[in-house]
Amino acid sequence: MTLQIVLGISAILFSLGLAAVLTRSHAIMLLMGIELMLGAANLNFLAFWRFSPDPAALAGILFAIFSIAVAAAEAAVGLAIIILVYRNLRSVEVDDADQLKG
Amino acid sequence: MNLLERAPIELKAWLLNLLGVFGVPDWALAILSALLIIGTVIAVFLGLFALTSVMERKILARVQNRLGPNRVGPFGLFQPVADGIKMITKEDLVPRGADPIVHFLAPVVMMVPALLVLAILPYGRDMVPVELEAGILYFFAVGAGTEVAVFMAGWGSNNKYSVLGAMRAIAQMISYEIPLVLSAIVAAMIAGSLMPSVIVAAQGGFAFGFVPQWFVFTPWGFTAGLIFYIGALAESNRSPFDLPEGESELVAGHLTEYSGFKYATFFMAEYVGMFAICGLFVTLFLGGWQAPLPFLEIIPSWCWFFGKVCFVAFTMIWVRATLPRLRIDHLLAFAWKFLLPMSFAAFLAAACWHYAGRGALGWGMSLVIVAVPYLALGTSFTRRFAVSKRTYQFSE
Amino acid sequence: MMCDFFHSLCADPVNAIGGWFVLLPAAVLLLAAAASVVLRNLIHAALCLTLSFIALGVVYLALGAEFVGFVQLLVYVGAVAMVIVFAILLTRPDELERSRSFFAGFGPAGGAAAALATLAVLLGAIFTSPTGDRPMPPAVAVPVADLGKALMGDYVVALIVIGVLLTAALVGAAVLAMEDEP
Repeated sequence: MTLQIVLGISAILFSLGLAAVLTRSHAIMLLMGIELMLGAANLNFLAFWRFSPDPAALAGILFAIFSIAVAAAEAAVGLAIIILVYRNLRSVEVDDADQLKG
Repeated sequence: MNLLERAPIELKAWLLNLLGVFGVPDWALAILSALLIIGTVIAVFLGLFALTSVMERKILARVQNRLGPNRVGPFGLFQPVADGIKMITKEDLVPRGADPIVHFLAPVVMMVPALLVLAILPYGRDMVPVELEAGILYFFAVGAGTEVAVFMAGWGSNNKYSVLGAMRAIAQMISYEIPLVLSAIVAAMIAGSLMPSVIVAAQGGFAFGFVPQWFVFTPWGFTAGLIFYIGALAESNRSPFDLPEGESELVAGHLTEYSGFKYATFFMAEYVGMFAICGLFVTLFLGGWQAPLPFLEIIPSWCWFFGKVCFVAFTMIWVRATLPRLRIDHLLAFAWKFLLPMSFAAFLAAACWHYAGRGALGWGMSLVIVAVPYLALGTSFTRRFAVSKRTYQFSE
Repeated sequence: MMCDFFHSLCADPVNAIGGWFVLLPAAVLLLAAAASVVLRNLIHAALCLTLSFIALGVVYLALGAEFVGFVQLLVYVGAVAMVIVFAILLTRPDELERSRSFFAGFGPAGGAAAALATLAVLLGAIFTSPTGDRPMPPAVAVPVADLGKALMGDYVVALIVIGVLLTAALVGAAVLAMEDEP
């Protein structure tokens, strides 16, 4: 179990989240992709903390905790916005939110 | 005294020794030791579930001036056997449009967290199955899995009322989780650790020689304990918070389309969860396995733990028999507008008690800090729901 | 190099069990994440996402970060996943909630290509870097009390900023989702 394996897992997770954001058209799917990307970044932080020579440096763990808190806040606000958009546009596909087009 | 107290531990050690003499390798003995502990805990709690399923009906019946099940054995005590046979042999209906995987997995996902949380409770002196350093956090983290199961049950049934019941149940569980966790943190803060055995040990000793120093006997501990108790009632979807499974409201809410053994699994998960959270309440506020008076320490610590848990469960059944059901908006308003500020007040009161030296000044300050928000919130809160004076109009 | 790694895991299973503790939840994590990206039925995708959060929490536990693992389970599985599911239920169109799938249309080809390109760049950087090829050092238990002292000591500014952010998010989400008074 080397650091490269764990970072590789986190890279695959990140690209899965990126694929979700780039290809799906439902707004909530975009949010799910963003959560996956944030999870991958957290995994990176914890991997570097675990494989570091100084485990008493808690910055890795604390950064991951703060990142989880920020992700939760962002999910809540993002979903509130999606619900509001649905209420006004009756659709949650991002392609349909094009009032500013042209 | 010591022999009875250490009987379970000594029994397990003797058994493993015997097997070691017969040539079983060490790693197998370690696995076997873990399996023995797991088996014992699960067997005890499933036995409690079986007993409670009949005792609850009998206690409710006695409160309502009738007898309760008394046909199947002496005083109806074999009723769980009859119920089990009925549940197993009932036809297992799956609605036609239901999502098969989600509908099937929901009882499993409900039962697993209920059993997992039993791992960190201190059942007696030195009798914790797993000593986790963040034990209380583990309890709530694993308990969050129950909400996923409720949603899976509701949505997987392809039934509008099930989905509605599931959404109400999840809203209730999320709302009451916050005061629950905050009041647990109050106890952990004063004890200085998230380990349940350290929290129990912090409630040891007797003030003035005979008064137990349990957290529930302090002003902040009483408030936090009461908030935890109410949150525990809400988390297990028990009356007066059982709107999600109230028969007169939503048939059975998220459990409508379940029959037979799956319903029995949900039922079991609810009761085991209730006992688990009673166990945590006893650990955090009622002194865990400590005896209430010094001369009562003859009775083993695990007897005290289970006695206290059974007493708290009895009070939960008593509350169910007594109080009417709360409406969903009343329920949510109660959690967000009353319990949450009161748990903050208990938090502040506990901190003041600690930093004022745990003496008379600390007791006085914490009492004031808890009483003032209670009176303020209590009076302002009920004004909105007050029934206005009726004016009768009679035809002349 | 990957063959050596798997070979070392299979040759000495008892000592390499730490490796399996990370690999098995990681496999579940990647499969569940891939499922949640590809599935057409939104609720199935949300449930697979919940499974991937649980698996990610278990990976954190296997890496030795107990507190973060339990916080991940509590926050993501108990809160974020439930909010996502609520939002899906509240924004359902009247017909079946089948969003356009991953494989529909031409857009996904470009998106998938971009994601694959990113993956290639990342993996290339990871596996050619000289600092990456170190084995897992023995686990060090971090007492929760130390985390608390660090949060209240060195990182107190970050803690307070997170508190303000969460309060703002709470109030903002409530205001946004509130129905307008008629």
